[in-house]
Amino acid sequence: MNAAPGSGREEPSDGAERLFELPPELAIDTAIARRVIVDFIGNQLRQAGFSRALLGLSGGIDSALVAFLAAEAIGPENLLCVLMPYRTSSPESVEHGRLVVDRLGCASDLVDISPMVDGYFGRGGEVGAGGEAGLDSAPLRRGNFMARERMCVLYDRSVVWSGLVVGTGNKTESLIGYTTLFGDSACAFNPIGDLYKSQVRQVAAAVGVPEAIIRKAPSADLWPGQTDEAEAGFSYPELDRLLFWMIDKRRTDEELMALGYPLAMVERVKRLVAISEFKRQVPPVAKLGPRTTGVDYLYPRRRPGSARK
Amino acid sequence: MQPLRIALAQLAPHLGVLDDNLARHRELLAQAREAGAGLVVFPELGLTGYQLQDLAAEVAMRKDDPRLLDLAAETHGLSAVLSFVEEADDHRLFIAAALLEDGEVRFVHRKLFLPTYGLFDERRFFAAGDRLRVVDSRLGVKLGIAICEDFWHLGVPETLALDGAQILINVSSSPGRDLAAVNEVGLGTAVSWRTLMRTYAQLTTSFVVFCNRVGMDETISFWGGSEVIGPSGNAIFTAPLFDEGLYTVDVELGDVRRERIGLPLLRDERPELHLRELRRILAHRTDLDLDEASEEGAPGGGDAPGGRRAKLS
Repeated sequence: MNAAPGSGREEPSDGAERLFELPPELAIDTAIARRVIVDFIGNQLRQAGFSRALLGLSGGIDSALVAFLAAEAIGPENLLCVLMPYRTSSPESVEHGRLVVDRLGCASDLVDISPMVDGYFGRGGEVGAGGEAGLDSAPLRRGNFMARERMCVLYDRSVVWSGLVVGTGNKTESLIGYTTLFGDSACAFNPIGDLYKSQVRQVAAAVGVPEAIIRKAPSADLWPGQTDEAEAGFSYPELDRLLFWMIDKRRTDEELMALGYPLAMVERVKRLVAISEFKRQVPPVAKLGPRTTGVDYLYPRRRPGSARK
Repeated sequence: MQPLRIALAQLAPHLGVLDDNLARHRELLAQAREAGAGLVVFPELGLTGYQLQDLAAEVAMRKDDPRLLDLAAETHGLSAVLSFVEEADDHRLFIAAALLEDGEVRFVHRKLFLPTYGLFDERRFFAAGDRLRVVDSRLGVKLGIAICEDFWHLGVPETLALDGAQILINVSSSPGRDLAAVNEVGLGTAVSWRTLMRTYAQLTTSFVVFCNRVGMDETISFWGGSEVIGPSGNAIFTAPLFDEGLYTVDVELGDVRRERIGLPLLRDERPELHLRELRRILAHRTDLDLDEASEEGAPGGGDAPGGRRAKLS
């Protein structure tokens, strides 16, 4: 997808912003974002009766940023970063994960998920627990399985570490549904779920996430050479800007086209948002009794008596 | 005239934990007294936290609740405005702000406008108040007390000023949102509120005292930034964003007189014109005769020619 004409992008003025392209309407006050998010992480843990946290560190910018902010909120000694490569993962992913761990001085753990994934799908002609059909399973199945395997590892480690799992998904991927339900989206709370990818980059630059991580092309790293933008067919700055006007600013299709977006892209993104609605909500419960959770039994998650003793 | 020392208790309540919040109020009241304050203002729902949902009924207090009276007992020689969930005799729940003075609960304002849109869901859990009155205070001036959204309706500060208030007090739990890049404070909500406060102070030629909470309830962060604005619309004090604290500021109440002599906007107000036009507008909106559009029991009933009957189908 080519840059939308008339998007009015400006050349970023300061050095840090030259690391990436930032549509001007997505620019935020990073000091306030940082303050709110750091307070949020501390509050979520404290209110739940925890002092420690853990997260899956992929080597990408989202989890790197959350690691930086969590370390700031609770101290690196209370943060565990778990690196969970699969045998085909890019070696750069683990390298970049280590870069973050070294920079923060937090605890880390490396768990190779290959035996679990291969144990299910099979490998090299050897049938796995998932049966013969697993041997030539599609990338979608394998990618989802890996994401959920990582979730299993994180939640298992959370017991040993005595901490809560911090989410690392951003607003862009959540809105278009580029996540695995109960996989990478599983968490106790998510500090960056209301930041578009472009805004994640902005805050990451402000808090000192290593440049190599900010610069590289975002990837789910499920197969060699995969990138988000190649898979989706449009760039994050374009997509973020479209979502911002569509969702946050409630613009109609005609207005979005006037902003420079082709109708085909508008329709495609709207469809992605609509078909992934289920991923952003808790599963519906059939209403039968007088008081039903999520319907007419409405309590804050954190209230007197809700914290772990 | 001795300056009035105002203490803004920009605190972070614990959601649903009344005892903690009562203790915190007591502590800050004592601190304010020590600091020589004559007026202490606490934020909206400072005694309960904001995002209560179904907890509202569990933390509600009647206005003669012993816990409230205990707090009032610590206000000898002091005026304090604090906020809680009030349960009425008929068990309606209100977001309320009370004026405690000289040992008693002198006045309770019930929030008039309950935002139920966007991230707000107040009307689901609370009843809306229906009285807007100023209150005489030991400070020698009348106070006009309002709660958060009340001040997003022009008629509220105007009515309070016309009713004789010289200090307009707004207690808030304003959620920070609309993060922006290039403005005064980087937060859309804060900019809007600052604009409102300065405008109201200037147009009513009154002091405006704004106390907004900090801390977080669930996913919402409250931005603080409490302020005292002088009667010419000038910010006398602005508390930091997000930082908990008790902030004191001295004001000259005599500034109200000076401003109103020099800029007699209130003198020139024409409430009778307003009332007449409002009656007409209301009649037009409801497509009713003027008489019928008036509230039941309201005096007058309009001064337009009668005879038109309601056109109800």
